Amino acid sequence: MRFQDAAKDARAVVYAGIQADSLVARVAALLAAATTAERWLARAAMNGERTEADIWRRIFPSLFGEGAASELRTRAEQILQASLEVANRGEAARSSYRGAVVEELTARLLVAGAAAGTPVRRERRVLFDGVPAEIHPYDVTVESATRPQVYDCKWGARGINADVLNQLDDARAHAADEDLELDVAIVVFDALRSCEIRLDRSTANRAGTRLVALGELDCLAEPRA
Amino acid sequence: MNDADQVVERAVEAYRALADLAETIEDEWQYVTDLADAYLPSIQALADSGQTFTANQITAADEAAAEIGLITDPHKAIDWLSTFPHVLALALGGDVGDDAVSAGGAGADR
Repeated sequence: MRFQDAAKDARAVVYAGIQADSLVARVAALLAAATTAERWLARAAMNGERTEADIWRRIFPSLFGEGAASELRTRAEQILQASLEVANRGEAARSSYRGAVVEELTARLLVAGAAAGTPVRRERRVLFDGVPAEIHPYDVTVESATRPQVYDCKWGARGINADVLNQLDDARAHAADEDLELDVAIVVFDALRSCEIRLDRSTANRAGTRLVALGELDCLAEPRA
Repeated sequence: MNDADQVVERAVEAYRALADLAETIEDEWQYVTDLADAYLPSIQALADSGQTFTANQITAADEAAAEIGLITDPHKAIDWLSTFPHVLALALGGDVGDDAVSAGGAGADR
């Protein structure tokens, strides 16, 4: 088994420009240190109809109300402003930015949990001897010699589909054929309940695939045993 | 009907309208139905906690309901079917059954 950079087609080149936008890194850095409530604020504001900050402050009184400590209000304000910047990129661009944010957030959390020197990379393929390469690269890979991991990242539970689940499970199975343990996971910036509802209707094999939803994101920053 | 019942009832009404819009995506009808079936009782249960909501909490819940009332894109409606219950729960200091969404403000769940 080996990792390899994915060849860039035209769409990937355009998307790479979004991934490299400093706004993506800024939002992801804020969300990496955020609470679950703050991550819900970001999810809502990045996909809202209205972009007036005062409206969102009223919707989240536990973050912006008088009861919140000033340093926490400051952080929530930074998250809100950055999220509204994403929203203000317009409906057409929002989904690409949101996807890039979830990938960058995942990568940042994984770096925190990875052993020193372990490469955490983006847009990589996993190649197995005698197996045709997958169509889609993995969003994030942890390229540990002893505990390799691959992650697919989704903004919402609706992004979970059979193709994604099958690709992850196939990779895990092919690695097992080479006597390697490959951790495969799908990270979804959405409610666990919604993800489980989505998965309940799927017939794809997912027994070996870990699901990480919005409320459990911090587990990505914990070292894998 | 008390304030808690009324604010939750308005949220339920908004959520049902959101689900109706989302259902227009035929390929996702089952997912939309499953989401609504799962979340509607949880939303309704927010009124059953016996707590009194503050004016800020009621404003927050009504603003959140107003937000989803503005959605006209059924794809966005599907996205908000899972977002709205958690935003509402945060506003009203309850939970909707997963992800440890709870009252207590920033930092309470870390």
